[in-house]
Amino acid sequence: MTTYLVSVLNGLAMGSLLFAIALGLSLVFGMMDVLNLAHGAVYLVGAYVAVALVGDGAGVAPFVLSVLAAAVAGALLGGLLATLTRATPHHLDQALLTLGVALVVAEVLSAAFGNDVHSIAAPAPVGGGVTVLGETYPVYRLLVIGFGAVLAVAVYVLVERSPLGSLIRATVADRAMVAALGVNTGRVLVGVFAAGAALAAVGGVLAGPILGAQPGLDEKVLLLALVVVVIGGLGSVRGALLGAVLIGQVQALGTALLPEYAPFLVFAAMALVLLLRPAGLLPARSAVHA
Amino acid sequence: MTPLLELRGLTRSYGSLTAVDQVDLAITRGERHALIGPNGAGKSTLFATVAGTLRASGGSILLNGQDVTALPEAERARRGMVRTYQHSSLFLDCSVLDNVALAVQRVHRVAHRCDRAARRFRRTEAEARRHLDSVGLSGRTRDKAAALSHGERRQLEVAMVLAAEPALVMFDEPTAGMSAAETERFVALLERLPEELTVLVVEHDLDVVFRLARRVTVLHLGRVLASGPPQEIRADEEVRRAYLGAARTEDLFTEAGGPG
Amino acid sequence: MLDGTTPAVEPLRTGTADGADRPGRRRAVVTVAVVALLAATPLFLGPYPVTAMTRMLAFAVLVLGVDLLTGVTGLPSLGQAAYFGVGAYTAVLIGIHLTPDAMVQALGGLVMGLVAAAVTGWVAVRARGIVFLMLTLAIGESVHQLAGTWSTVGGSNGLAGMPPISLFGGPPLTAAGFVYWWVLAVAVLVFAGVALVVRSPYGRTLRGIRDNEARMRALGYRPALARYGVFCLAGAVAGAGGALWAQQARFVSPGDMGFEVAALALLSVVVGGPGSLWGPCLGAALVLLVRDNLSPSIGGHGPLVLGTVFIAVVLLAPRGLAGLTGARILAAARRRKENPS
Repeated sequence: MTTYLVSVLNGLAMGSLLFAIALGLSLVFGMMDVLNLAHGAVYLVGAYVAVALVGDGAGVAPFVLSVLAAAVAGALLGGLLATLTRATPHHLDQALLTLGVALVVAEVLSAAFGNDVHSIAAPAPVGGGVTVLGETYPVYRLLVIGFGAVLAVAVYVLVERSPLGSLIRATVADRAMVAALGVNTGRVLVGVFAAGAALAAVGGVLAGPILGAQPGLDEKVLLLALVVVVIGGLGSVRGALLGAVLIGQVQALGTALLPEYAPFLVFAAMALVLLLRPAGLLPARSAVHA
Repeated sequence: MTPLLELRGLTRSYGSLTAVDQVDLAITRGERHALIGPNGAGKSTLFATVAGTLRASGGSILLNGQDVTALPEAERARRGMVRTYQHSSLFLDCSVLDNVALAVQRVHRVAHRCDRAARRFRRTEAEARRHLDSVGLSGRTRDKAAALSHGERRQLEVAMVLAAEPALVMFDEPTAGMSAAETERFVALLERLPEELTVLVVEHDLDVVFRLARRVTVLHLGRVLASGPPQEIRADEEVRRAYLGAARTEDLFTEAGGPG
Repeated sequence: MLDGTTPAVEPLRTGTADGADRPGRRRAVVTVAVVALLAATPLFLGPYPVTAMTRMLAFAVLVLGVDLLTGVTGLPSLGQAAYFGVGAYTAVLIGIHLTPDAMVQALGGLVMGLVAAAVTGWVAVRARGIVFLMLTLAIGESVHQLAGTWSTVGGSNGLAGMPPISLFGGPPLTAAGFVYWWVLAVAVLVFAGVALVVRSPYGRTLRGIRDNEARMRALGYRPALARYGVFCLAGAVAGAGGALWAQQARFVSPGDMGFEVAALALLSVVVGGPGSLWGPCLGAALVLLVRDNLSPSIGGHGPLVLGTVFIAVVLLAPRGLAGLTGARILAAARRRKENPS
């Protein structure tokens, strides 16, 4: 029983991180039909920022600093990506552009940090464990779960309740109509792109003490984020949350029970959802656009 | 005799808006039938619902006495119901010959053969050329469809539709955007269509309608206002009021091309 | 043969006018000359460049499969590396456990690539455009990571110790030149096969789907079926390419089927000009040349160069270096946007 509890908690922590990462990918796709293949690379930038600033020395200040630095770096990268993709009108071209950026960023990172596996320490005050139902569990992961919950509420309020949020939702639903109403969507699009990338980079820092940093991690994270977005429904915030929680659990259970086949379980979950609900569990639009 | 196409209470609504409302219609084999009506009458919606591009919200569609309401568009096409589009819908990056051959090879059941080069399927190629000949495009078989003029694209559409060996051809505003000369050539082409072919045409140009059609159905606000031979329709008071009387406004909006 | 999308010599003119026959004959001459030149390569090049060219040929086979999807059918794919990997693993496993016979291995790779594509492809072919790209990437990455964790196939270490291939029960082919000739022979066969498909009625169907899927339905086609078919076919082609790749390296690891391989295969198609068959093959050679052979002389930063090439091609020459054919998928995508009915 308690092993399952640990697995469920691990899944929730993973789900929180996945939500932070996948949110930007989903909204950028929903609002602009841009598939940002550099999203995993942005995440990895965040992870390496933590390697540079935190490393093994565990203090709260450097950790907070690296979160802020990652957010800035992510936002800058996101802004750059938004500018680049807006320079070409075709969606396939845009995806290829982000693919090029992903290759360049990954190569620069491996040139700067080498190909070794780096581990990142959790800040000292929360580096220990706490007893949950007779089982010791890292405090840091509980904090990550808490972060996920706060983020979910904050994003919900922002997207579902604020004027900016209604503009975002309207753009997802019908971009042409929003543009026809005379709203300049350009700044909102760049803003969402930058904010989503910043969140992904922050996710890289926060995931650091759990997943570390190494070349190739960008692909793994991109895959999980893609699956979350596909399962949840493209462009849907609630879908991203549900998908992240689901995939977090599948990942954790898979790692606990069938570590060899965990990637297969993730794929099977996606295939199953697509078989039953081709547009995802909570689609933002009634139909999946090509 | 069973009509070739029969609509029974066909309805299509978008939310609370009912674009096509309880339409009954029967078209016999070999008939030339025109569907007219002011903008917003529901012509295009009716057309798309019959073709299967849109799903019906109610009622049924019978082709040759068989209910096809639940069948997807491709299946209806296989049973002989082939449509054109208001804006030419071609395979622009393919050659003119390929455009027609795509229709022929489906009929000849060789569309998924990959063991020989397409040109070795001589019956298919010859058939495609015959159809291109019949619409006067035999000189342009190797050009890309994108290189054709607007009028030529319409001719190519006709060749494609005929090549699909339909029992019922549905033309959606075929002369829209054509010059007078192009319209004249196109109508002449339609007049030469094989006798046994059943034609349903949605058309704005009333001269074309009264020249081509043996029967005319007037649609107004999603309902059938009148249906009968052209001279009867011309004389119908109600039609005059609803439609012909509004010809002036009609002219203003002809180019707008919204959901007719 | 040069460009799969133009119908070659038309039957009615073949017998009548000599002029119409000439381009076809010229293409045949060029084809024979290129193949002869490629076949002669080991006679005047050393083993290292010959090995490099063997890899290019195997990679070009993968790229042909990607082109079949991306260029001919208009379905941009980032998942083909997975089937390439499946083919490579199959060939190595057959080589280690069953037989060194190169034909059995290549056939095994082809069949397993086909099976893997058939099992996973139905998820992807229901989508189009960018969503298709997204789903193929998810499939490809799942398979790639499965290879990295599954201990039966060596996990992240991969599988080493594959004996050299042999043909017709003969002695092991250890010389680079012999392996090259074998790979060249299979690559030419696959090229001819793909060229035939592209020019067949089925190829025409695929181009029809690329250009205007709604119209295909109105003509009575079931496009999803044809898309699934070409996906399986492209998987088989990629599997054959993977088997060739492994036969040269005699080793396979998850790195052979990763994101980067998929990205470079797509880059080769985009650089070469989607829809044409020669262009992407040249693109494949170019891309591998930069990644594997130029890399050491530029400080090992081949991927950096390729990433930059990617960005530059899209921004500066979005139609592909080899010509205007790249416009097609994009034009098709644009039309779908404008004309969603």
